[in-house]
Amino acid sequence: MPDSQITLLTRDGARIEVPCASGDTVLDAAAGAGYHLPAMCHQGTCGLCHARVTSGSYEMSGYTESLLPGRDLGDVLLCRCTPEGNVTVQLPCREDQIPRHQIPLRDAVVERIEMVWERAVCLSLRLQPHDELGVAADFAPGQYMELAIPGTGIRRAYSLANLPNWDGLIEFLIRIQPGGQFSAWLTGQARVGDTLTVRGPAGRFVLDEASPRPRCFVGGGCGLAPILSMLRHLAEFQDSQPVHLIFGANQEAELLPESEIAALRAGLPQLTLTLAVMNPGPAWNGFVGTAAAALDASLAPGVTEPDIYVCGPPKMLLAVEEVAARHGLAGRVIAERL
Amino acid sequence: MFCYQCEQTMRTDAGGGCASDKGVCGKDEVTADLQDLLIYQLEGIGQYSTRLHALGEADAAADSFTLYALFTTLTNVNFNRQRFVDLIAEAARTRDRVRDAYLAAAPGAEKLGGPAAFQPFQTLVELQPQTKIASLAAGAATFGEDVAGLRALVLYGLKGVAAYAHHAEVLGRTRPEVAAGVAHALDFLASEPSDINALLEEALALGKLNFGVMEMLDAANTGSFGTPEPTNVRTTPIAGKAILVSGHDLRDLHGVLEATKGTGINVYTHGELLPAHSYPKLKAYPHLAGNYGSAWQNQQLEFAAFPGPIVMTSNCLIEPQPAYRNRIFTAGPVGWPGVRHIGDGNFAMVAQAAKALPGFAETAPEKTILIGFGRDTVLGVADTVVGAVKSGVVKHFFLIGGCDGAAPGRNYYTDFAEKAPQDTILMTLGCGKFRFNMQDHGTIGGLPRLLDIGQCNDSYSAIRIALALSDAFQCGVNDLPLTLVVSWFEQKAVAVLLTLLALGVRNVRLGPTLPAFLTPAVLNVLVDKFGIQPITTAEADIEAALTRAA
Ligand code: SF4
Repeated sequence: MPDSQITLLTRDGARIEVPCASGDTVLDAAAGAGYHLPAMCHQGTCGLCHARVTSGSYEMSGYTESLLPGRDLGDVLLCRCTPEGNVTVQLPCREDQIPRHQIPLRDAVVERIEMVWERAVCLSLRLQPHDELGVAADFAPGQYMELAIPGTGIRRAYSLANLPNWDGLIEFLIRIQPGGQFSAWLTGQARVGDTLTVRGPAGRFVLDEASPRPRCFVGGGCGLAPILSMLRHLAEFQDSQPVHLIFGANQEAELLPESEIAALRAGLPQLTLTLAVMNPGPAWNGFVGTAAAALDASLAPGVTEPDIYVCGPPKMLLAVEEVAARHGLAGRVIAERL
Repeated sequence: MFCYQCEQTMRTDAGGGCASDKGVCGKDEVTADLQDLLIYQLEGIGQYSTRLHALGEADAAADSFTLYALFTTLTNVNFNRQRFVDLIAEAARTRDRVRDAYLAAAPGAEKLGGPAAFQPFQTLVELQPQTKIASLAAGAATFGEDVAGLRALVLYGLKGVAAYAHHAEVLGRTRPEVAAGVAHALDFLASEPSDINALLEEALALGKLNFGVMEMLDAANTGSFGTPEPTNVRTTPIAGKAILVSGHDLRDLHGVLEATKGTGINVYTHGELLPAHSYPKLKAYPHLAGNYGSAWQNQQLEFAAFPGPIVMTSNCLIEPQPAYRNRIFTAGPVGWPGVRHIGDGNFAMVAQAAKALPGFAETAPEKTILIGFGRDTVLGVADTVVGAVKSGVVKHFFLIGGCDGAAPGRNYYTDFAEKAPQDTILMTLGCGKFRFNMQDHGTIGGLPRLLDIGQCNDSYSAIRIALALSDAFQCGVNDLPLTLVVSWFEQKAVAVLLTLLALGVRNVRLGPTLPAFLTPAVLNVLVDKFGIQPITTAEADIEAALTRAA
């Protein structure tokens, strides 16, 4: 239950209602509802998020007072304004100017279906022109989209494995689940040229690019898709921060193909790679155990503490979070559940 | 981190300065510290360069690198930590080269210490502890706030000089005395100066140098694109694919126009690129469609609503919102982590993005504003202007120039323009004008009352107009019925202010707040020597200006 309601009025007369939890600022509450109002310093100092509360009571604290000569008239800085009950806020902008996080629905046509490795299919789609979005494939590496099986309304979410581009190309790495409906469609009926609806991008599993720390990616199976997108992005931007990829598999056959490893290394020369296999054959001389165990081993004392990105099944996430907590890195885990 | 270089710096009871883990502008601690370290290295390059220049030699690439690197550290230019790791490595290589050239040219010369001898590590992790050596806060603790503040004044003025000189250089203009002047100032800072008079003198010398730099930039702009002329600029969109170019760099705008020739894509200017429409060789491109949006601090709203790619060619960049992060590009000295950078002037990818994005669906009813009153245009009607003053039709000139910013207190400038009496002429430059340039200010003596001189980069034009007026009236600039109302935000404005002081211009109204790096003692000196005044209210300041003139 929201604790109060905020009514945002735009300069062109639109009314936007957003719920506000107790203690949240107007800026946070609006962002929580998908409205990203302009803001720069987030500390009551720059004045960019100024607006006027026209009704309701609120608390303003920790800001530069000279920024608000009209304080008595209800002028506020939204990053420091905490509603005490319902409030109405007059914004100094038009509705169409407010960056809005909407999850768009679009058509896409199948371009390629290819078995890339053990039980993993690469599905490439091309987005069709959209009134507001054109043909751009605009997403943040790490995000996912929902794909609907044509004619059924059944939707499944898959992470994007490629990079944002202007050609409208989106790529997914899909694990074939025996008995899965999407898997059945993909391996049975799907044909190049089929059209399906896709909804996205969505998701908060994205890179913290401003972080100065090394990055450690932990994934297994198709949990690699969003991580691949992130790694490709870092390669494209010639990022030189240390990167460690820990890829976990049950058997050697489920590991990433050599060609994929070579491509990653070409773009990210600083990449270190740990392949962790649970039940290897006799010839295996790499790490034996889970991806979480490999992470544990890599976090030796003296190593610069990394940000940890993990994508995989719930069990793996739990194990990784537990390892991170043991190393005092609980706040550094950025996770996506498969 | 400690940074107090701009107007919006954090101000607390303990004094001014962004000193937490993030500045008001969004610059993080790591980036801020790396920027300080880079400047420290540039001082080291300056130590050798200035000696090389004295021997009649120069390393043109080092001089050019110095300008560019200084520019990256201006407010709202480059937030990309990784970029600074690379620049620090490049600075070390450059220093080695200049040192070797100097030692070759002056055999037996002593090896220099201080910044000149500094050896940076290579990775971000190793560099972080090294940045302490360059910390500004440490300087203040040792030499006192007055000295630290004056050193900051010199450094920030120098950054402004470098930014203007870089803009001129990309259009092919350099001057040996500029490179030598910049090297000299860096060498001066490397010597840890603590004499107040020497510091003030250096600041004024930079102001003088900057006058030459702005003259050079003016020649670069007009030489490349023709003389600005009065032009009506469309401020409403036209249906079709669209690119928005922001910042100050005319050459980058030209590059975008070339890359989109004949493609049907319309190019719009944003913020400080508005004056581009008045240059004959730029407005000759039929697809330079209009001006979109307003000043920099509104970019998050304006860029989010813009239906095409955006190119940021110089300051001022604010954290790109997710809504447009993939379709904003940086160029030149600008950078943000995870935002595509175009370092080679090839804007093909921007054109490709414009084709993929929807563009404007509809043409809005046409609205225009009149710009293009550079010095040639204004001086072309000098007789009319002088006549209008002599006959009493025009009582006073206000130059309301400088930067805009987010603080609501900047409404002062809107008020000022609105409340200035009808028998006054308003001249403006910089992006501060967006606070009043969409209003109709009427005409006077056959001239528009609001004359838009151009970018902050066109301050030279404004100074030339003032000098020409003082010629025509046979009086000093300070005796003209002219008041300068300067709104500052970043370091280019500091350079322009130093230029005004160096030229002996007095009684500048400076706002919206005074620089945090100037201590009360230093401010007193500036008030005594140059009559610098803080703003009060628009009404009172207009009144004071008119009384002084009368
Ligand atoms: S540039 Fe300005 S806002 Fe940014 S850190 Fe420095 S003083 Fe603070």
